[in-house]
Amino acid sequence: MPEEFNPATTEDDLTGRFLTFYIDNAVYGIELTHVIDIISAQEVTNVPSTPAYVKGIINLRGSIVPVIDVRLKFNIPEREYDDHTCFIVVDIDDMQVAIVVDTVDEVVNLDNQVTASLPEFNNVNTKEYLRSISKVDNHLVLNLDCEKFLEDGNGF
Amino acid sequence: MSVFDESMIPMLEVFIYETTTLLDQLDEILLEAEKEKILTDDNINEIFRTMHTIKGSAAMMGLTSISTLAHRVEDMFSILRETPSKMNDQNRGHIFDLVFQASDFFKSEIEAIQQNGDDYYPADAGSLIVEIEQEGAEMKGEAPVTPKPQPSPAAQPAAAQAPDQPAQPEPAAPEASPTPAAEEAASENGLHYVRVFFEDGCQMENIRAFALLSQLKDSCGFLESEPHAPETNMACSSDIVKNGFLVMFRPAPSSSLEEIYSIIENAMNIKSYEDVTEEYGTVSAGVAPAAPAASSVQPAPASAPAAAAPSAEAKKAQPQAAPQPQPQPAPQAAPPKAPQRAGGAGEGGIGRNALGKQSLISVNQSKLDQLMALMGEIVIAESMVTSNPELKGLQLDNFYKSARQLRKLTNQLQDVIMSTRMVSLTGVFQKMNRIVRDMNKNLGKEVELVTVGGETEVDKTINDVLGDPFMHMIRNSMDHGIESPEERLAAGKSEQGTITLSAQNVGGEIVISIADDGRGLDRNKILEKAERNGILTKPASDYSDKEVFGLIMLPGFSTNETATEYSGRGVGMDVVHKNLETVGGNISIDSKAGEGTTFTIKIPLTLAIVDGMEIAVKHDTFTIPITSIKQSFKLSEDTQLLTDTDGSEMIMLRGDCYPIIRLHEVYGIDTEVVNLEDGIFVQVENENKTACIFVDQLIGEQQVVVKSFPPFLNRYNLKDAGFSGCTIRGDGSISLILDINNFLNKF
Repeated sequence: MPEEFNPATTEDDLTGRFLTFYIDNAVYGIELTHVIDIISAQEVTNVPSTPAYVKGIINLRGSIVPVIDVRLKFNIPEREYDDHTCFIVVDIDDMQVAIVVDTVDEVVNLDNQVTASLPEFNNVNTKEYLRSISKVDNHLVLNLDCEKFLEDGNGF
Repeated sequence: MSVFDESMIPMLEVFIYETTTLLDQLDEILLEAEKEKILTDDNINEIFRTMHTIKGSAAMMGLTSISTLAHRVEDMFSILRETPSKMNDQNRGHIFDLVFQASDFFKSEIEAIQQNGDDYYPADAGSLIVEIEQEGAEMKGEAPVTPKPQPSPAAQPAAAQAPDQPAQPEPAAPEASPTPAAEEAASENGLHYVRVFFEDGCQMENIRAFALLSQLKDSCGFLESEPHAPETNMACSSDIVKNGFLVMFRPAPSSSLEEIYSIIENAMNIKSYEDVTEEYGTVSAGVAPAAPAASSVQPAPASAPAAAAPSAEAKKAQPQAAPQPQPQPAPQAAPPKAPQRAGGAGEGGIGRNALGKQSLISVNQSKLDQLMALMGEIVIAESMVTSNPELKGLQLDNFYKSARQLRKLTNQLQDVIMSTRMVSLTGVFQKMNRIVRDMNKNLGKEVELVTVGGETEVDKTINDVLGDPFMHMIRNSMDHGIESPEERLAAGKSEQGTITLSAQNVGGEIVISIADDGRGLDRNKILEKAERNGILTKPASDYSDKEVFGLIMLPGFSTNETATEYSGRGVGMDVVHKNLETVGGNISIDSKAGEGTTFTIKIPLTLAIVDGMEIAVKHDTFTIPITSIKQSFKLSEDTQLLTDTDGSEMIMLRGDCYPIIRLHEVYGIDTEVVNLEDGIFVQVENENKTACIFVDQLIGEQQVVVKSFPPFLNRYNLKDAGFSGCTIRGDGSISLILDINNFLNKF
């Protein structure tokens, strides 16, 4: 786990920092202020009557946390969970949700990086949930808009 | 600026708690008495005492408006106490109204204090005070118009408002009257001395000391204390803490010494008490009986200001200390009369005191909630240990023996914790009495509220939630349900309507019904209104009676054309529905035109821990509450299976036909167990349906702690899909809890 998760780190230090993760070959970023925990993949209890991208619920140290598969949410074919698969537990508006990603990459500071607004995408479903695109070193990071990512109920 | 003295703030909570309790008792007495149309001596004394205590503690808190009003009511009842005949048929109703109004004033003030805290400003009770004064004057046979109270009460408010100043210089305590002294002299040897110590930090020791005296009063022929008249002087609290509270008494002829000791023993907040009769008795015996004041501690009441207590002067500042030409019996003022009262009605009084003074403590509810949550964690942790997968296949006889012991103890612990949270419904029922009374007056109806099973106990959370729904339903019944007396007579019913409020414990549920014998719900009127509002989803004739009545639960639905003071805005039943939903309850309505309407509420007894049967479908586990299960069984060869034209499967059991619900199908689980012979059936039922759920296998019975779904999942309406929550199993995995009621309604 990166040392940024030290609880002594104040929130100020976290703003502008992003946790990046991979889905397929694309790099996505998520604001570090939202991230509570990163855990390895574990068994998920399926909850019927929910959309497919809601994988179910897990027991995170006694509290029940729903699990959302980013691949399914973005209409990317699902793949088996493996050793690299991670659940990133995020807290948005006091709602805790674990999102499933292929693998977690690193924590980057995007303040000084070139950030551009979104170009046209073919994949409308993905674009809806993105806030901006940044260039870090020599690759692009797609910044996830967590609020939008979780808010909609029309994903059925 | 706060109206409260800085030092009083910590006592505010105690004051509010005690006063609220007293007011509740007061309402109870009044309602009872009004129904009986008579105030017994006991009632009068009780009300008098209540007012006296409220007056004292309010004055102590600096709440002048409350203490003044309480004082006036006390005045009025002191007249009644002397001459109960002053209350006659003409003024009785008015007196009751006045006391009710006073009680309402106190309640609203207490509420204002609770809500505003430091920003509280006392309301003015002026007009009510004047009214009560007039009533009092009339009773005394004086001119009814007395804008200024007569001399004596005028002096008393001053004392009541400033009790900690020696406002009354002359220590003319009523006890100074010759009677007690003479009595004491006559039977000097019969005096007992007891020194009482209150619990450390219980606060308001002086008031508690006074409460003790009031309790003892009825059983004692003679009663005196040191410090004297503790309720009037805050400052003596510290003396009481330091030196204890010395009570001197002689048992009344009708009471035994044991009785008195048991009263002392059972009184609230008493840490210890010791009999010091020898210490003082011998001293007194050595001195001339008529003048026992020689000792440093005075058994003789009249001589309190002597040496021992430097604050004795202040202690004399009791409100009753005014020279009283007219009857003004302070609680302590009537020792000679006490035996009569005790003889007449003392039995009930003592019994009640003894009952009410069990060793109760009040605990912050959040602590109980915490305890409950911890209990839940322990239940989970216990099953994590005992059904740990690592133990599988090991020979662990002793381990399982200890585990069973642990299980037994946690079960007991859980029962105890649950029981601490249980409160009886009496309080809620009592409040309804009050509503019915007020509405009777305002609507000109004659409705009697009959309560059955008020002693039924429910979890505190449930109890808190029930008040509002009850109120709305009673209001509805009174306003819409029960007809006016004329209409009732015309319909051949008795003039008096009846609303029956009953509660009982059935299985794991509390069943509460509110039944009126009014005109009943009008099916056509409801349908008409619903059609106009466009809420009908199918032709009106297709609606069953139950469904039609269910429509009145919808928000904004009221068949009344105009909203009255009490109902008709269409909010009430929606509130009922919402409140009940928070505690997992449901409501059904039954009604017969012309005969009345019955609302039946069912609420699960506890919310947090349920006994469940765990079942498995492939890798998923589900928990079915045991209370919903009738039986579980495997298919035997001679069981008849049927398939109807829609392809739905049915099973024939003992001559009845039940639908089969395949859990793997309704929840889309891909299991290999699809042959009805391979799996197992669980027969479940709700109030109107029975079905057999087909599952892969039973895992076993397990106590589970209900956890609600994370808020993120609320949007998917899992409740409607048949889930009430989830639970963490012993191995850390999660099981979904089926809500059989919703489940059967959906599938």
